[in-house]
Amino acid sequence: MRFVLFVAALLFAIPAHAQGIQQTKGNYEDKFRQLDEVLPTPNTYRNASGAPGHEYWQQKVDYNITATLDEPRRRITAKATIRYTNNSPDSLPWLWMQLDQNIFRNDSMAEMTDAFGGPGRRGPKVSLGSANEPTKLSMDELRRQQAMADNSYGYDINAVKTLAGADLPHTIVGTLMRIDLPQPLAPGESTEFTIDWAFNIVEEDAVVARSGYEHFPDDPRKGGNDIFLLAQWFPRMVAYSDYEGWHNKEFLGRGEFTLEFGDYTVEMTVPNDHIVASTGVLQNPETVLTAAQRQRLEAAKDADAPMFIVTPEEAAAAERGNPSGSKTWKFAAQNVRDFAWASSRKFMWDAQGHKQPGAKHETVMAMSFWPKEGGDLWRKYSTAAVVHTMKVYSRFSFDYPYPTAQSVNGPVGGMEYPMITFNGPRTTLNKDGTRTYSLAEKVFLVGVVIHEVGHIYFPMTVNSDERQWTWMDEGLNSFLDSVAGYEWDPDMPWTRSLPRDMVSYMVSSQQEPIMTQSDSVTNLGANAYGKPSAALHLLRDTVIGRERFDFAFREYARRWKFKRPTPADFFRTMEEASGTDLDWFWRGWFYTTDHVDISLDSIYRLRIDTEDPDIDLPRRRAERADEPEVVGIGLNEQQRLPIWVMENPGVTDFYDKNDEFTVTPKDRKSYTSFLEGLDPWERKVFDRAVKEDANYYVLNFSNKGGLVMPIILGLTFKDGKTEKMTIPAEIWRRNSRDVAKLLVFPKGKELVQVVVDPDWETADADIENNHYPRRIIPSRIEAFKSERSKARVSRDLMGEAAGAEPDGRK
Amino acid sequence: MLRRLIMLLALALAPLAGGPALAHQQKIAITTVSANPRTGMIEVIHQVPVHDAEHALTMQGVRLPDIVGSAKSREDFASYVTTRFLLDVDGKPVSLAYVGAEISGGSLMVYQEAPAPKGEATLRVNSQILTDVWVRQENRVNIGSGTKVTTFIFTAGDAAREAPLTR
Repeated sequence: MRFVLFVAALLFAIPAHAQGIQQTKGNYEDKFRQLDEVLPTPNTYRNASGAPGHEYWQQKVDYNITATLDEPRRRITAKATIRYTNNSPDSLPWLWMQLDQNIFRNDSMAEMTDAFGGPGRRGPKVSLGSANEPTKLSMDELRRQQAMADNSYGYDINAVKTLAGADLPHTIVGTLMRIDLPQPLAPGESTEFTIDWAFNIVEEDAVVARSGYEHFPDDPRKGGNDIFLLAQWFPRMVAYSDYEGWHNKEFLGRGEFTLEFGDYTVEMTVPNDHIVASTGVLQNPETVLTAAQRQRLEAAKDADAPMFIVTPEEAAAAERGNPSGSKTWKFAAQNVRDFAWASSRKFMWDAQGHKQPGAKHETVMAMSFWPKEGGDLWRKYSTAAVVHTMKVYSRFSFDYPYPTAQSVNGPVGGMEYPMITFNGPRTTLNKDGTRTYSLAEKVFLVGVVIHEVGHIYFPMTVNSDERQWTWMDEGLNSFLDSVAGYEWDPDMPWTRSLPRDMVSYMVSSQQEPIMTQSDSVTNLGANAYGKPSAALHLLRDTVIGRERFDFAFREYARRWKFKRPTPADFFRTMEEASGTDLDWFWRGWFYTTDHVDISLDSIYRLRIDTEDPDIDLPRRRAERADEPEVVGIGLNEQQRLPIWVMENPGVTDFYDKNDEFTVTPKDRKSYTSFLEGLDPWERKVFDRAVKEDANYYVLNFSNKGGLVMPIILGLTFKDGKTEKMTIPAEIWRRNSRDVAKLLVFPKGKELVQVVVDPDWETADADIENNHYPRRIIPSRIEAFKSERSKARVSRDLMGEAAGAEPDGRK
Repeated sequence: MLRRLIMLLALALAPLAGGPALAHQQKIAITTVSANPRTGMIEVIHQVPVHDAEHALTMQGVRLPDIVGSAKSREDFASYVTTRFLLDVDGKPVSLAYVGAEISGGSLMVYQEAPAPKGEATLRVNSQILTDVWVRQENRVNIGSGTKVTTFIFTAGDAAREAPLTR
């Protein structure tokens, strides 16, 4: 809530100039004004350089959970002992918990505020009628309504007690719950309490969530099989921070989470033919895995390629069979901010040890779990993409901080948790029983695995708050996933989010600044993923340069590893560590909706006057000769009109032999006295300039988009040579609308063409005004018509090549 | 599949699935409508993320990536896009000619055009691309060329909006 007020204050304050700085004359606009008045005041918890302050603190929450999955009833019953350690300087009379499953209650704020036909929540469509269309409820919305009516969703909180067994008073407020403590929890102290709860697992395909079960009715087993993805499955402590206190914001479905770090031990009892993938490290392999599986797991630690732990044959057998009882899997995880798991008898499982010499976890187990529906797509690329992600991301941040990194296939398209991610892409079943996939599906799988595993760095380790600032993890992560994508295969059609890809969004007249609360943003993908990613590519490759950018970015990651950064901490760290004042850049890209459009309006060529009449006057004469003839004189000639001087050749004087550029002794005398009047240093400078006879050009630019950017110039000279020159953005500091720049080139180096941003680095929206002289830029459609390019990446070429015909099932 | 899709849209109960929670899916289409003085045409360019396009169709109950996988798949998806975008010029419906489609980066670009009227004109547009698939779909339409554009955002069931065609 505080943030909302902050944003509102920001938006309204700028026009009102409430911050005490007012431009009361003229129209000067300071695009370089320091962000001091916008950023929070540094303090002992987070300092002015963007680092954690000397009194930085954060809470710690440890969970010890036992849970049982009732497969037939699709219900979780669980109990937790929670230890809350108050590292803050404040006494806490109560604790707040997040009850995220309550979003699925019929009376939740998310349900009640879901605007019909609007983009309110994740879920199937409804459509509001318009002039030509009736109001519609889709089959899936009906399915959702029925699922919501038939099932009782949300948490049943059965008990909240002290360790001694006394009831703790608690108040449920939507997706939040306040627990009143017997006495305030003093700074530095811990308290422990227990919670008993249960909930019915939502069907992901019906309700649409970030977790749930998926049913496979066509499996050989009677009644089919399920994949269970369990996330937001236990009451989680709300974050309490130095800048926000309790982060009490209702879960509306889109703004994700921020949480406290802590240690977990979790025991989950599931049918004994299930395989469980989970945050943490398996503590009892001897109880839940066969001897062969344990042996394979050991061998996989040093394998060069992924090895099966549960083979496709074992998974196929399990899929046909029935459980004979239950098994309890036990996992432990240290210093994680959340805990998620998956369970199914359909899973095959592969693993490969990723080596990080010298790191805390020298061998990280990269693992994937998928049903047969994942097919070769998963076997070949999932675990490989997990390993690739760690290699690339660690270069930009720190060694992968946990012992496992996992990718699990299920009904969720893509979602991240510590050490475990859920990823959706699958193969297509053909009538001949084969499974194939399109290149787009492959790009999707590799891309989503990189993206979700990348989230284990941001925000699972660098713990930013996605409910408030989606861009802090999604934007940084989209930037890094595109870097990792190009390092996987530069020729694959990645969703790349480079500046040039964001132009159509950035010129839109309806959009919000990136610094907008995540539940309020339209087009979250463009706003919180694409635009910040483009901004970071621009900072790295154009504004700061790779070496200093990478150094600063790594410093941000390192400073805030296992801590809780805010936007100001990112902005300040990037400036301080790169040694670059970037307030103008953050202000333009993150706090406004300006776009980039720099126009090169004109170029004037200048030449030094030598003052020597014997040089300058013939030049004038030559210039005059180059001017086009007066049209009327030409027409007179065509009409053969009589001209007086031609008809009177005998009448002449001085002026018939000498034009206005004729050099006179007076001119020469004046030149001599000019030279004599110069001081020795002036004479030296003048003589040299005359001798060099350089080419001087004044380039006039205007800023039509509002965003100030470096002016990147592609220069072409008369001899065909080209040069690239970058003028720093600071050229706009005194006048952000129009600037002129003098360029000097030696004699003989004559400029014939100049292009602004020749390599499309800055998201310049209007290419036409970048060229001087102007030239015709074909529209996309004109260019397309001339090229007739044909993309084939979305086709299942693999299936087409094999002549396969798609089956109708999963 | 396209025929089936259109047929089902005609029913009041359209059996179209909601997409799963995709942490990185954009669910956005951006359309630019502008006049090209050189060709005398109104040019319409739709930009749809490939992932969204293919996954959306995969999720439409049938779960077949071959919706875009058959030989004519991309063209079929492009023509689906054209059925979800409506354009009136000065109150009269304009039938946009399909020019083609191509992949650019992670996006499917779909091109359409129609002769531009002489002089001033008012456009009425509605972009319902993929709104029949995802409730979260938000379509952005920029009217105008270069950087002087009027933007409308459309979600499922929104009514058409009007703006002058700037030159």
